Amino acid sequence: MKFKIKYKLSFSDADRLIEKYYEGLTTVEEERKLREFLSQSNLPEHYKPEQAIFGYFDHKKQKAPIRFLPIIRWSGAAAVILFTVFSINRYVNENQTNYAFIDGKKITNVQEIKSRALASLSDISSKNSEVEDGLKNMNNKELIEEQLDIFSGL
Amino acid sequence: MRSIKKYLILTLLVGFAFIPTLKAQNDLQISKVFDQYGEKKGVVMVELTDEMLDGYDFSLFKSITIQNNPSAADFIRKCLAKDEIGAKKVKQVVANGIPTSIYLQLARKGQLYRLILFNETFKPEPKITLIYIESKNDSEDVLKLILKKK
Repeated sequence: MKFKIKYKLSFSDADRLIEKYYEGLTTVEEERKLREFLSQSNLPEHYKPEQAIFGYFDHKKQKAPIRFLPIIRWSGAAAVILFTVFSINRYVNENQTNYAFIDGKKITNVQEIKSRALASLSDISSKNSEVEDGLKNMNNKELIEEQLDIFSGL
Repeated sequence: MRSIKKYLILTLLVGFAFIPTLKAQNDLQISKVFDQYGEKKGVVMVELTDEMLDGYDFSLFKSITIQNNPSAADFIRKCLAKDEIGAKKVKQVVANGIPTSIYLQLARKGQLYRLILFNETFKPEPKITLIYIESKNDSEDVLKLILKKK
């Protein structure tokens, strides 16, 4: 079975374009067609010089270099923004840790906040003697021994 | 290149989303009490940091006082029941089968001693007081000092 190789340009057209190329008369489109033609494999030997000109033998095709500068810029911008946000957040939090809410309304007057804090502490250490008595009794060894003595008689 | 930009923008957005959660996390259940009731009517919530308070030396003082809300008292007791787990010391005063005063000395957080105080009174009107304290001083000493001052 014979395979017919179909080239993108006929050899006569290619030769004509090559001649025109050397004379500097080719258009961009013609150069593109010529480049396409010369990038094919299995071309006759006499096209090798033109293939070299158009970079066909350049096996190590140079990839477009990765531009690091935009990546660095974007990373830097992201880092600065994040740092700024964290700093502001921290600063705001640190400066708003003395506050009170009374019926849903925020108070920032330190004296008033302190008086409310003291009021809540006095609720805990209330005049209700049950609390104090209860705590005293918890530490009262004698009371415990007294209560245990009830059972020793059984 | 476009995908790199996309990932960077995504990272920024994720960072912004996490900002609110980057505040110091309170690992205790009672933090829910402050969050849920703190800004409601009939409630007084106080937070003080590193402030001298009438001779008390607290690193952090946080309190909430709730009036006429029995369901809040039940909720607080449930939270305290969970926070009690792992507490160093627990003291309770029980009246008619219900703890009306609870004092929890919690495990230390770094160099700080932690204390939770809860009290419920019914006269002249129902009132709940919940206090969370962090202090460089021993919890036992802090508690004695609080109860001594009336």
